[in-house]
Amino acid sequence: MSRSSYLKPDTVALHTGYVPESDHGSRAVPVYQTTSYVFESVSDGSSLFNVEQGGHIYSRITNPTVAVLEQRIAALEGGSGTICTASGMSALFTVFITLCSAGDHMISATQIYGSTATLLKHTIKRLGIECTFIPINDEQALRDAIQPNTKMVFCESIGNPGLEIANIPGISEIAHENGIPLVVDATFATPSLCRPIDHGADIVVHSVTKWMGGHGVAIGGAIVDGGRFDWEQSGRFPELTEPYAPFHGIKFWEEFGPSALAMKMRAESMRDVGAAMSPHNAFLILQGIETLSLRMKQHVANAKALLEWLQQQQAVTWTNYPDMESNPSHALAEGLFPDGAGSMLCFGVVGGRAGGAAFIDSLQLASNLANVGDSRTLVLHPGSTTHSRLTVEDMKAAGISEDMIRVSVGIEDIADIKADFAKGFKAAERAAGES
Amino acid sequence: MYVEVRGQKTYAATGGKEFDNSLPCVMFVHGSGLDHRSWALQTRWFAYNGYSVLAPDLPGHSLSAGEPLESIEEMGAWLADFIRAANVSRVHAVGHSQGFLDVLELARQAPELLKSITGVGTAGAIPVNPALIDAAKNSAGDAAEMLLMWGFGPDAQYGISAVPGMQPIAIGRQIMARNPLYEDLVACANYENGSAVAKSIEVPSQLILARKDRLTPIKAGMAFAEELNARVTIIERYGHMLPIEAPRQTLQKLRELISSLEEAA
Repeated sequence: MSRSSYLKPDTVALHTGYVPESDHGSRAVPVYQTTSYVFESVSDGSSLFNVEQGGHIYSRITNPTVAVLEQRIAALEGGSGTICTASGMSALFTVFITLCSAGDHMISATQIYGSTATLLKHTIKRLGIECTFIPINDEQALRDAIQPNTKMVFCESIGNPGLEIANIPGISEIAHENGIPLVVDATFATPSLCRPIDHGADIVVHSVTKWMGGHGVAIGGAIVDGGRFDWEQSGRFPELTEPYAPFHGIKFWEEFGPSALAMKMRAESMRDVGAAMSPHNAFLILQGIETLSLRMKQHVANAKALLEWLQQQQAVTWTNYPDMESNPSHALAEGLFPDGAGSMLCFGVVGGRAGGAAFIDSLQLASNLANVGDSRTLVLHPGSTTHSRLTVEDMKAAGISEDMIRVSVGIEDIADIKADFAKGFKAAERAAGES
Repeated sequence: MYVEVRGQKTYAATGGKEFDNSLPCVMFVHGSGLDHRSWALQTRWFAYNGYSVLAPDLPGHSLSAGEPLESIEEMGAWLADFIRAANVSRVHAVGHSQGFLDVLELARQAPELLKSITGVGTAGAIPVNPALIDAAKNSAGDAAEMLLMWGFGPDAQYGISAVPGMQPIAIGRQIMARNPLYEDLVACANYENGSAVAKSIEVPSQLILARKDRLTPIKAGMAFAEELNARVTIIERYGHMLPIEAPRQTLQKLRELISSLEEAA
């Protein structure tokens, strides 16, 4: 097990990274809504800029409130350090451009979030970084895709939207045999349900906007450096092992070892790209994290109860949840997610695209929107929204059917969620009868 | 930089600057199972402020080749060879925990190589619980957990870090789990020369001790400071891992002694 703290996870979620500050004794983490920090002297400022000592200079690089969140997330995931960013997408972009340069190559699972796929297929490609997409958990395809210039393997611990489970131990073993780090987007699980570093991942990325925050009021991302990957032995990362010119020729690996990647991201990407998390957002995400495990227990319990109920409804044509017994990934899910594989589920309704739309439109409790991981139940009909411009064939290739409803199950009373959905099914059945 | 010592490739951090043996040299010696990175927040300051810096990884540790040394006496002798291999005439030697025992042995065996000695989070002897040694024999990772749980003070246990966003316990574990912790702990446990060496030391000395140190309790450090006739500083709130937990305060005390000696020279 990878450890950053000897406190138990629920205690870490409430306390880690902060002790009541000396000036006022504030018990909760204060919001340092501040841009810059006074140097004690010219020499002090110089030593901060030169990493001779730790501390804050400017909130694009570090901020006291954001640092509390970073240290807390690192401890929850068992990593050596965390960098928080403005969004989950900027976290991914930071990882990609830190590990890869023009002319490099990476490998990604096909079953990933649409915006991440676009980033990899188009934006990163424009920077001269090629990505090979392979079916998740296809070990032979992974071996075949590895090239001398491959810099990372990427997957989501639970795929979005298809809810495929990544075989993190299997993928990391192949990646490590070839001196390549495994990057896992663990947004759908949170460290409360699965800590990818414990299973072989080297870097973990989160959109903390989702379950980590849970309240749906703040956008943010996080990158956790697992600290175990040997960048020197790999031989693929001169950016980390050779002198880095913009910083007096610093060699990140020699200097910082297990936190080399995090320090490089801080020194380069946060400085140059500036996708910093706002202090207020960090404060809001901290409020969410305090109750993370309590909420995740309720999320999972509701998801399982809703799934069971959905399977008994005549208007439901199919269901999908990662550790459903009929799901091919059931055994994998049980091993990696012993407390439940998240709170996302998908199902089909009668009436195809029209039935799906009617179902969504008739809901009152559940919100129809393009987000997941809120404490409230959220639904989306991809066929009418995010994927409405696709042909039936293209949707099928993306693992989406016309009748598919995606649900991010919230923590309301399950009886109320069921009652709301029951109204939706009546509407779907009417739409099916009319078509 | 890499230096060849006894035919083995040895890594020594130089604080991010090219090593220049014409400058006054400060040598930093790490503790059990650790490496040069425990001094990351002291070495760079000295390197960028008029000193040359050497922070070696002892043989078999992190970036240095070779088999781990089996006794503190051997480590002291090796440090003497290392200083000579780096072509340095005299150093200010700074040791953390076991690293200070190594410095004491260096002082006994090659006093001509020293300008001053400083011990950080240490004492003249460091008895080691046999259960910890047994744990280290079976798994450096398990022993590292025990050491880090006891070694870091209360703030670090609550995830407080001198470097924003980082988690020192995880970093320490990654380093210790890969290094020959068992050999280091056995060497510590067996070392009994401290008091005898203290009487023979003629260079200026200081001890920087931590109020919340549970591995080398402050009482033992204070007693040894008296034997050594060393100047003593006690840093409140922090634990045994002072260079990492309280880097500014540790650096400040190192600067005060070493700068004053260099100015007087």
